[in-house]
Amino acid sequence: MVGVRAGKAHRDERIALVVLMSCSGIFVVAIALILGFLAFNGTELFWGDRYSLFSFLFSSDWDALNGHFGAAAFIAGSLVATGLAILIGGPLGVAIGVFFSELAPKRVASAFKPAIELLVGIPSVVYGWLGLTLLVPAIATTFHLPDGDSLLAAGIVLSIMILPTVISLSEDALRVVPVSLREGSAALGATRWETITRVLLPSASSGLAVAVILGVARAIGETLAVQLVLGNAAIFPTSLLQPAAALTSEIVMDMGDAPDGSGFKHALFSMALLLLLIAMGLILLIRFALRRRT
Amino acid sequence: MARALAATPAPTVEKLGGSSNARSRRIVDRIATALLWTAASLVVFLLLLFIGFEFVKGASTISWHFLTGSPTAAEAGGGVGPLIFNSFYILILTLIFTVPIAVCSGMYLQEYAAGGRFKDVVQFSAESLATVPSIVMGLFGLLVFVTAFHWHFTALGGALTLTLLNLPAMMRVTQEALAGVPGTYREASMGLGATKWQTVLKVILPSAIGPLTTGVVLVSGRIFGETAALIYTAGASVSYGRGAYDFNPFHTAETLAVGLYQVHREALVPDVDRIANGSALVLLVMVLVFNVVARVVGRQLTVRFTGKA
Repeated sequence: MVGVRAGKAHRDERIALVVLMSCSGIFVVAIALILGFLAFNGTELFWGDRYSLFSFLFSSDWDALNGHFGAAAFIAGSLVATGLAILIGGPLGVAIGVFFSELAPKRVASAFKPAIELLVGIPSVVYGWLGLTLLVPAIATTFHLPDGDSLLAAGIVLSIMILPTVISLSEDALRVVPVSLREGSAALGATRWETITRVLLPSASSGLAVAVILGVARAIGETLAVQLVLGNAAIFPTSLLQPAAALTSEIVMDMGDAPDGSGFKHALFSMALLLLLIAMGLILLIRFALRRRT
Repeated sequence: MARALAATPAPTVEKLGGSSNARSRRIVDRIATALLWTAASLVVFLLLLFIGFEFVKGASTISWHFLTGSPTAAEAGGGVGPLIFNSFYILILTLIFTVPIAVCSGMYLQEYAAGGRFKDVVQFSAESLATVPSIVMGLFGLLVFVTAFHWHFTALGGALTLTLLNLPAMMRVTQEALAGVPGTYREASMGLGATKWQTVLKVILPSAIGPLTTGVVLVSGRIFGETAALIYTAGASVSYGRGAYDFNPFHTAETLAVGLYQVHREALVPDVDRIANGSALVLLVMVLVFNVVARVVGRQLTVRFTGKA
């Protein structure tokens, strides 16, 4: 009797392990398939349609219906909007992370933290709609523009959207700094601000870098929030106050209109592949930052 | 860490303790403290601003007719009932796929894998999957479910795309919930002669059920509002004429979030702003609901399964 039950338990154990490992394997298969499908469809423009990779990356001559697929304007739009988001949201997010890790009394933290979690939960399309109805008119009035749709609007919306990511990751990074370092610094007579800037931030630098990089990853892939406030003009951006387009916004706008098998559609897949490669590059960068720490 | 520290010049006593500038240092500290408080308050301010703004703009739209009525093609007065239904329908389909896979892989990584190549590969894959932008995932879904499988725009295709998009987050949630269970539970269970699987299934999982549920509901909130991945997989139109509430997973299923995008982009109805503001408010309120439910249910389950408050 005991033997039978032990045998069953043993069998269950092996089945469970196989099931759990298969489920984990799904992640590997999924990312491999995604990379494969996008690599195949995203390079069709260069293999099949013989369009030059150089023109795709560096020309801003986009006239998709007449075979001009220069995506430089969209690449620049994505980079500028993301850069702006990081310039605003990065320091602000780290500062708020510092606040939660070093300053916030328990009661204040427990009141503020749910607010951050709610900000994470707001759908991207709602951010876009808020940007369109709240921020875009404000920009138009402030800068006396006929229309407030602009890179500036996209950058501001994105900076708010990356805040929760940057805040919680930089707080985590600061919390793992040993208390003894804070005590040591205080014992040397440092004020709290001096301890933060000279001891804590340098010690947590790699964790903070990861926080900002993940902010970049979130911002560059963001689609609808950007599409709704950017104005969608396929022009190479020369001013923050002009309408522009980003890789993501152009894909979502045009995917439904591009005929199957056309160079137009292939170019959109190339843009998606580019986004995917950027995201993968950021992951490798994070791995590098974390390895440096240990 | 040690290297980062070594790179920073050690604060010397004169630098920090010189009494001549002690006052200015204290003032700098005060100002910095004030600024940090301001920065943190900004988050709360923004949230209240967004909610308040949408309430003012959208509250007048909300009516029983708006919440349950069907969208119209060109005349004013349409509702979003089928869209709300589709959002929940796709959410449930997504959860059916996501939760078992994510919980199993989370259990594997947290409880079984001690290290080694396979664990590394899975973890790296999950991290990579987590950074795939939602629109790129949508295009993958378009290539596979819509084009290769010839399903066209379907609720199922959308749900499977969202599954891929949310697996990493759900797995992390599982890992964190399991990591919160004290090691002594495992030791006690194994010490009583339970196998690893029996321990995981009967001791660890029930103890982690509270935080696990909280996490699952929070991720559900994000699935509910997902847009970019659905436009080219589940489609951007309601299946008109088939009855507003369509349970067929192989039919087009526009969700509320996609509807908000679509109504702004190409609707022919004259009351676009009314519908968009109403939809945005419903989406915001749903975020609040998911958050509250996550906490309340999580706490209840923790109390029931572990006896801890």
